[in-house]
Amino acid sequence: MIVAHELSKTFIGVPGQAKRRVVAVESVSFNAEDGRITGLLGPNGAGKSTTLRMLATLVQPDSGNATIDGHSINKDVLAVRQHLGFMPHNAGIYPRLTTRENISYYARLCGLNKKTTATRVEELVDLLDMEKFADRRTTGFSQGQKTKVALARALVHRPQTILLDEPTNGLDVMATRGLREIIRQLAQSGHCIVFSSHIMQEVAALCDEIAIISDGNISMTGTLDSLLNTTGQSSLEDAFVRAIGGEL
Amino acid sequence: MNVLIVLWKEIVDNLRDRQTVFYALLFGPILLPLIIGGGLVASLKQATVSFDQPAALAVSHAERAPILMEFLYSNNFDIETAPPEKENSVRRGDVALILEIPEDFATSLRDGQPAPLTIFVNDGDKHSAKEARKLNSVLNAYSQTINALRMQHRGIDPSVFNSINVRLEDVSSDGFRGQILASILPFLLIVAMVMGGFYLAIDTTAGERERLSLEPLLSLPIARYKLVLGKYLAVLFFVGISSVLTAVSLYLVFRFLSPEAAGGILSFDAPTITTAWLLASPLIFFISAVLMTVAATTRSTKEAQTYLGLLMVFPMAPFFILQFVNIKSANLTMTLPMLSQYQLLERVVLKDSINATHIGLSVAGTSLSAALLYYLAVRLYSREKVL
Repeated sequence: MIVAHELSKTFIGVPGQAKRRVVAVESVSFNAEDGRITGLLGPNGAGKSTTLRMLATLVQPDSGNATIDGHSINKDVLAVRQHLGFMPHNAGIYPRLTTRENISYYARLCGLNKKTTATRVEELVDLLDMEKFADRRTTGFSQGQKTKVALARALVHRPQTILLDEPTNGLDVMATRGLREIIRQLAQSGHCIVFSSHIMQEVAALCDEIAIISDGNISMTGTLDSLLNTTGQSSLEDAFVRAIGGEL
Repeated sequence: MNVLIVLWKEIVDNLRDRQTVFYALLFGPILLPLIIGGGLVASLKQATVSFDQPAALAVSHAERAPILMEFLYSNNFDIETAPPEKENSVRRGDVALILEIPEDFATSLRDGQPAPLTIFVNDGDKHSAKEARKLNSVLNAYSQTINALRMQHRGIDPSVFNSINVRLEDVSSDGFRGQILASILPFLLIVAMVMGGFYLAIDTTAGERERLSLEPLLSLPIARYKLVLGKYLAVLFFVGISSVLTAVSLYLVFRFLSPEAAGGILSFDAPTITTAWLLASPLIFFISAVLMTVAATTRSTKEAQTYLGLLMVFPMAPFFILQFVNIKSANLTMTLPMLSQYQLLERVVLKDSINATHIGLSVAGTSLSAALLYYLAVRLYSREKVL
C-alpha cells in the first residue's frame, strides 16, 4: 500500500543546459491500495518516472512524504526497499549473465540464502514462462524477454508493493497481453501495483485506479468510470485531455 | 555477505568480458613486460661489450704478426683464418669482422713507423660494430704498450706524454643503463596495475549506468557503502592479480639477463622481486580507489575511458621525471603515492639500503590517499546524480 503526500522535486542544472531549475514533480498526492492496479497516466516528461524514483528511494523528495506499507521513504529507506519491487522503464539487466544468474544476483542481494534463491528462481522462471532462455546469457534478448527477466528480478524478494515504470514499452502485442495477465495475477494475489504509462488503452485495459499526471501535478484521480463521469466524456483519451486542461 | 555477493558477481561478469580479460590478465602483465622489458634486455645485451667471454676473430695473414696474435689471444680472442672474400663475407655476416695484417706491418713496426692494420667491419650490423669496438680497445692497449717501449728505448719517460691522468670514479651504485633498468620494474608494475583495473572500474560504474542497470540495483535493500565496497574489492582483485602476474613475468624476463649486462649491480632474483612487489602493494589499494572514483564521476563509458586514459599518464610521469631530475629521497616525497614506490623499488633493484622511515612514510601516505579516495567514491555513489 502506498500513501503519497505532497511529493515535490526540483532538479537544478540539467546537463547540456545552463543552470536552471526544472520542477519535475509538484505536490503529488495519491493512494495505491493492496490488491489493486493503480495507473499513473501522463505524457512524456510529466513526472511519472521522478515520482516512481522517489517512491523507490532513488531520489529524495525536496518536500512531502510517502509511506510504503507503513515505512517512510524519507526515514526508513532500507525497510521501504525491502517491501518494494521496482522495475525501471529500461530492463537494465546484465548482458553477460544468464537469466538465472541475473535473478539470483538480486535474490542474494535481498538476503535470500542459496537454497531459497534456487527455489525462488525456479518459481519465477515457471511463472513468467522463461524456461527456454533461462540458462542463456541475456545479450541479444528480445525486449519481451528482457522485460520478463527484469520483472522476475523485481519480484524475487516477494515485495508487497510493485512499481513498474512503462513496462510495456517496446513489447509486441502478444508480449503485452502476456504481461498484462501476469500483472492481473499479481494484483489478485494481493499485491499493490503501481504502473506508469503514456498509453491510454494500456491503462484503460488494466488499471483499477487511474491518476492522471501532467506538468508534475496530479490533475485527477479515480476509477475509469468516475473519470469519465467527472469529465462527461465517453473515452479515456477525451477524459485525459479534459483533465489536463486541454481543449477537445 | 552482501559485499561478497557483489564481489563475486563482478568477478564472474568481468571474466566473461574479453576486453577486461585481455587488458587485465594478458596485456599489462605479460605482453608489456615482454615487449618493453624483453626489448630493453635484448638491446642492452647487444650494446654491452663483454671482455670476459672468448670470441672468435678472423684474421687475414696472422703469420705476419705473431706477437700481436699472442696479445689478442691473451685478451680472449680466438684467432681463426679469415675467408678469402673479405668484404663480402663481412657484409653477408659470415664473420663479424676481419682483421687484415698488411705485408709491411712487421717492417713498419721495426722501423719505428706507424704500422698499418685494417679492420673490415659492417657498421650497420650491431654485432659487427660491437666486436669492432672491442677489438679497437684491445689494439689501443697494444699500441700504448709499444709506444711506451719505443720512448723508453729513446731515453724518454713515457709518462711525459700523459700530462693529465683522469680517473673516473662512479660513486653511485648505478650507471645510466642500471637506472633505466631499475625504473622499468616500478614502471611496468604500476602500468599493469592501472591496466588491470581499468576496464573493470569503468564497467562496474559508468558501464552499469549506461546499461541502465544501476537504477534497479540501487533500489535494492542494501546500503550504498556495501555496494561500493563490493565493487571496489572486485577492482582490487583484478589490480592485485595483474600486479602478481607482472611480477612473475618480469622475474622470468630478467632471468635471461646476464649479470654483466647491467654491470652486475642490478638484482632481479626472486627475493628482490618479492620485496619490490610488497613495497608496491599499497598501490593496489590506491590505484583501485583512483579508478573507482574517477569512473564514478563520469556519465558514460566513453567519458570514463577518456578521463582514465588521461590518467594513464600519471604512472608514467615519475618514470620520466626521475630520468631527468634527480629527486632526493626526502621524507616529503616518500609520502607521495607512486613517486615513493618508484624510488623505493629502484633502490631495491639496485641493492641499495632502504630507510625504514621511508618505507613507513610510503605505506602510510599511499594507504591514507587510498582511504580518502575510497571515501570519496562512496560519497559519489550516494549522490542522486549517480543515476
